[in-house]
Amino acid sequence: MPVFSFLNPGFLAALPLASIPVIIHLLSRRRLPEVPFPTTQFLRQLEPREIRRLRLREILLLILRTLAILLLVLAFARPSITPRNAVTTAAAAMAVIIDDSESMAGLDEQSKPRMEGAIERARALVLAARPGDEMTLISATRPMGAATEHTSDRVRLGRSLTNTQVTMLPADMAGALLTARRALERSRLKDRELYLISDLQRSNFDAKARAELGPIAAANIRVYLVPVVQSRVPNHALVDLDPVLRPGPMGRGLELRARIANYADAPSDRIAIRVRHGDALVGGGDVTLKADESRWAAMPLDWRGSGSDSAQSSGAVLIEADQDALVPDDRWFAVLGAPGRLRVLRVTEPREGGAAPRFASLALDPGKDGRSGFVVDEVSPAGLLGLTKSRYDVVMIEDVASLSTEGEARLRSFLRDGGGLVVALGPHSDPGYYGSRLFPGIIDLGLDGAEQAAAGGSYELRARLPGHDVLNGLNVGVGAPLTESRLTGVMKARTLTTRPEVVVQTTGGLPLVATSPGVAVFLSSLSDDWGDLPYSGAFVPLVRGLVSYAAQADAQGPGSTRVGEAPAARLTSPPGAAVMVRGPENYTSQASVRAEGTAYRAEADAPAIRPGFYDFESGGRSIAVVAVNVSTLESDLAVIDPDSLRAASGTGSSTLGSANALASHLRDTRRGRELWMTFLLLAAAALAVELLLGSARALRA
Amino acid sequence: MSERRPRLLDPHFVSKLTRLDLTARLVVEGFLTGLHRSPYHGFSVEFAEHRQYMPGDPLRHLDWRVLAKSDRKYIKQYEEETNLRAMLLVDTSASMGYGSHGVTKLDYARQLAASLAYLMLRQNDAVGMFAFATGRAELIPPRSTLGHARPLLLLLERLTPGGATDFTSSLHSLAERMTRRGLVILISDLLDEPERIAQAIHHFRHRKHEVLVFHVLDPQEVAFDFEREAVYVDLESGERVTTRPQELRPDYRARVSAWRDQIRQFCIEKRAEYVPLTTDQPYDRALLEYLSKRARLL
Repeated sequence: MPVFSFLNPGFLAALPLASIPVIIHLLSRRRLPEVPFPTTQFLRQLEPREIRRLRLREILLLILRTLAILLLVLAFARPSITPRNAVTTAAAAMAVIIDDSESMAGLDEQSKPRMEGAIERARALVLAARPGDEMTLISATRPMGAATEHTSDRVRLGRSLTNTQVTMLPADMAGALLTARRALERSRLKDRELYLISDLQRSNFDAKARAELGPIAAANIRVYLVPVVQSRVPNHALVDLDPVLRPGPMGRGLELRARIANYADAPSDRIAIRVRHGDALVGGGDVTLKADESRWAAMPLDWRGSGSDSAQSSGAVLIEADQDALVPDDRWFAVLGAPGRLRVLRVTEPREGGAAPRFASLALDPGKDGRSGFVVDEVSPAGLLGLTKSRYDVVMIEDVASLSTEGEARLRSFLRDGGGLVVALGPHSDPGYYGSRLFPGIIDLGLDGAEQAAAGGSYELRARLPGHDVLNGLNVGVGAPLTESRLTGVMKARTLTTRPEVVVQTTGGLPLVATSPGVAVFLSSLSDDWGDLPYSGAFVPLVRGLVSYAAQADAQGPGSTRVGEAPAARLTSPPGAAVMVRGPENYTSQASVRAEGTAYRAEADAPAIRPGFYDFESGGRSIAVVAVNVSTLESDLAVIDPDSLRAASGTGSSTLGSANALASHLRDTRRGRELWMTFLLLAAAALAVELLLGSARALRA
Repeated sequence: MSERRPRLLDPHFVSKLTRLDLTARLVVEGFLTGLHRSPYHGFSVEFAEHRQYMPGDPLRHLDWRVLAKSDRKYIKQYEEETNLRAMLLVDTSASMGYGSHGVTKLDYARQLAASLAYLMLRQNDAVGMFAFATGRAELIPPRSTLGHARPLLLLLERLTPGGATDFTSSLHSLAERMTRRGLVILISDLLDEPERIAQAIHHFRHRKHEVLVFHVLDPQEVAFDFEREAVYVDLESGERVTTRPQELRPDYRARVSAWRDQIRQFCIEKRAEYVPLTTDQPYDRALLEYLSKRARLL
């Protein structure tokens, strides 16, 4: 049965005020004046019929006035009725996940900080908690960390909320949901509720996070989704950077490449990008992106303004894009390598009657002077034995039958050290060797042997992933041919797992370019053995794209640490003393050093909490600087459909789409449905009826 | 003069004067002065002038007194010889003592009767008076001398409200006693059974008298404009009615109006003149009604 109660019972002391109309009525009757009047005979004639009617109306008016005062007093006493659902009358265990990820630093549709809205909602939950309720506050970025607060003390919870701030970390929604479920399952209270206060970014709800919703529904936990935004707010972000400076157009100057993405349903405005070296502006450019497009933007650099004495300078640069809804991802910190060239070791086998064709070498370094940004050395497979990471960035194996065991071991060591690999097959390559021996552990690709096109037929090269780095120099769309040239033979291949990316394929769907981090495989010939590809305009950008992609294996290493990870630096020699790491906002941590291949790896003990530069010091001098950036996971502000989450979290879940909806929900479930407004309206209605009766009487009079 | 006239005929103004003979004269003089400028000019109500007798003039208009004194034949213009006998019936019941704005109905009736008497005597009419209420009645037989005004005014000044309105015994006995045909002017609030009033009027009419009824009511009796809830005590019966005026006002007014219409109706049926008056109205209306009636009679 519903329970009726008053939230301000003190006002009930004013209930006797309701007797005022009755008292006034009685007093006025007792003190009636006597008026001599000659024609009372007419009044007497009226009295029996009229007076009875008037008395009735008088009583009705009296009741209405009394009722109006009564209702008014009751309205001030804030009457409430608890719902029939008896669970809400009992104490409840609540887990409140507060999304404090980087995206919450953004603005909502009303240009209000998202975190502000989240704290406001969380505070409403804390304030609505009743004695006996238990509440666990869980940070979505550090669900197992210090931000988790389990208490029934409202003051402490409120203080904890006050200290809650946006982190630069990506949300760990799966971890947060797991922590919430466990906290609720530990509670003895039967009524269990999970509130998820978040911007409900689609990118936060991966398969793992969604999988956590099932057990929550099974544990009889009601889930309330409390979104702080309703729609996707446009946002652009710097998502990647090529740390290697490349020669500029026509071999002049230097340029830096940054990848920028437009996470929006509409094309972006022109986005200006600036490169700063210290306080000096050293380069920049601008880019306009289509909806949901990401693109590499090349920015010419001019070091003269930076105070550096030569174009060979390198160091820490900050790349900034125009600020938008989410500011942290509009900046990218980078420590550039020495500007120069990619060093490529091309491994070929001599052919009968002469050396192997040099099409790929010519595509990479036509002048043999390195001005194209590539320096190519050519060796036979035996030359692999002298391979080290310090001498080469990328190894390109082209139409080699197979490698010796020693050569293969050296290659694998090179790859472990961060080297890149390009494998181009051909009529001389042994598919059995590559498919069964070399590729395992490098790329999950199986080979089924060479296949020649039927007489008169050929294979067309069609882009499957047009935005892939391999195709960076080619302006193609999905399914578009890269070139007019055709291939007459291919090495039939299949991906063994989902990890390899097929970037280019034939019209019939046979893979032609497959990649894995640091590894690119061209499944046909880069010479004219199987077609006329080397003579096409797409050949040079394709070969350079394959090598550049493979070279990024090094860029994916310690230099691109994300917030939340421990900063790590590769050292060429062991440090002489203990290594300390210093970063933004007084970050200080010790670092542990261990050998890694021929080099050493120093890794801070504490994770980075802010993007910026982290300086590794030993013996009072800087030995390495690494850049830490925010995760690109948080940049796409697209909102997941709450219905899809509700469907996964069972029938007991609901969405509280606004602060008002949350307030209404809390009012109904915690304090009961407040009826003051109803009472006020009833009082007004009683007064209105009283006025109507009164005015009807006056009109009649 | 035009400014004085309404003052002289205003009951409030008149009520402040103590001498009834003076006030009656003031009322009548004021009335007559205004009358010369009114559409009623031409009424032969006062002596105007003599002119020499010309052959062809009716001999009845010859002023015999002048002829007797001076042996000259003059025609007396606008002065008429009459044998009209009027009886003023003034109700002195307790209800006539009611006045909501300083003038009681009896005050009004007293002044009206005095004015009428003065006017009649000025026109050489014979005027009598009958003041009545339950258990008391005073009669002054009609005479036409100017000196007759004094006893009439003395009686009027002596009147006090008391007793119930009694049409049955008082008026029927008076009707029996009035042998000569004449004009009966009834000044009353008529707070008796309508049937009794009708019977009384019928009785006078049966005796060939002309009847003029001045129905005098206080404005409050007509409008019932009280605001507060109160106990209303009947002046004659002492009965008490507790009510809220604003609630009953519409019905009350309707009933009073119906009551007056009923009286008017039976007056019409009995061929009596009915003049409703309220004590805030000037006296000229009543005087005009009288003159109009007199003109029809002569």
